[in-house]
Amino acid sequence: MPHWKKSFPVDLAEEGHFSRREFVRFLAMVSAGFTAGIGYLALRKQPLAGAPDSVAAPVGPLRVCPASELAPGNSRLFTYRDDRDRCILVRTRQGTLKAYRQTCTHLGCSVRWDGQRLECPCHHGYFEVDRGFPVQGPPTRPLSALAAVEQDGFIWVIGDLPKPTLSQEKS
Amino acid sequence: MIPGPKSQLTTAALVAVILIIVIQLYLFETVLAAVLDGQRSVLPGALAVSAVLSIVVLLIALKLPSLDRHY
Ligand code: FES
Repeated sequence: MPHWKKSFPVDLAEEGHFSRREFVRFLAMVSAGFTAGIGYLALRKQPLAGAPDSVAAPVGPLRVCPASELAPGNSRLFTYRDDRDRCILVRTRQGTLKAYRQTCTHLGCSVRWDGQRLECPCHHGYFEVDRGFPVQGPPTRPLSALAAVEQDGFIWVIGDLPKPTLSQEKS
Repeated sequence: MIPGPKSQLTTAALVAVILIIVIQLYLFETVLAAVLDGQRSVLPGALAVSAVLSIVVLLIALKLPSLDRHY
């Protein structure tokens, strides 16, 4: 018998024994945990970090960087509303500027630019860069978009864009 | 051995509880995605549904006598 077994004489067959009631009690705690989580979201007054805030006053234009610093096909991270409002600015290969909140609309991880699409590493969700619609993986809602413009040699983010809808996309 | 009615009741309760946990997981994921999207209007309804499901699981866990039987 190995030394550790003498030191810890646990009968594994007995150890694995627990009653159905214990199991269901454990599941009841898990269920209560989910309810508590939803309750927390309901009671919380502020929006979650990175979620769009429909009641907040509009934020003014933000100078993100000199236009020469963002070459086509590259991205740059910045914060907009406050330090927790993490956003990503992308200049597509065609030279168009796009800005989105980094918060993935699945479970809130941060998306990043993979050169062609916005990618969420958590569950491999992908969003197209043109309007932020999900194209692969679990997310079902588009990213929260911001308006970005180039002016006087700088790139500016000037405010939130309305949520795009699929019907708009078709038209 | 043919399972008696109590055994079947316990198995049905276990299946129901596991099903409720799956629903709770899906509900939580959906609610979180909606909140991240700025849609808080789903919260009261989702909280009510989740609370009812939790109460059902709690009642089964605490009150169903046949859960203690050994088969
Ligand atoms: S959190 Fe982004 S795909 Fe799940």
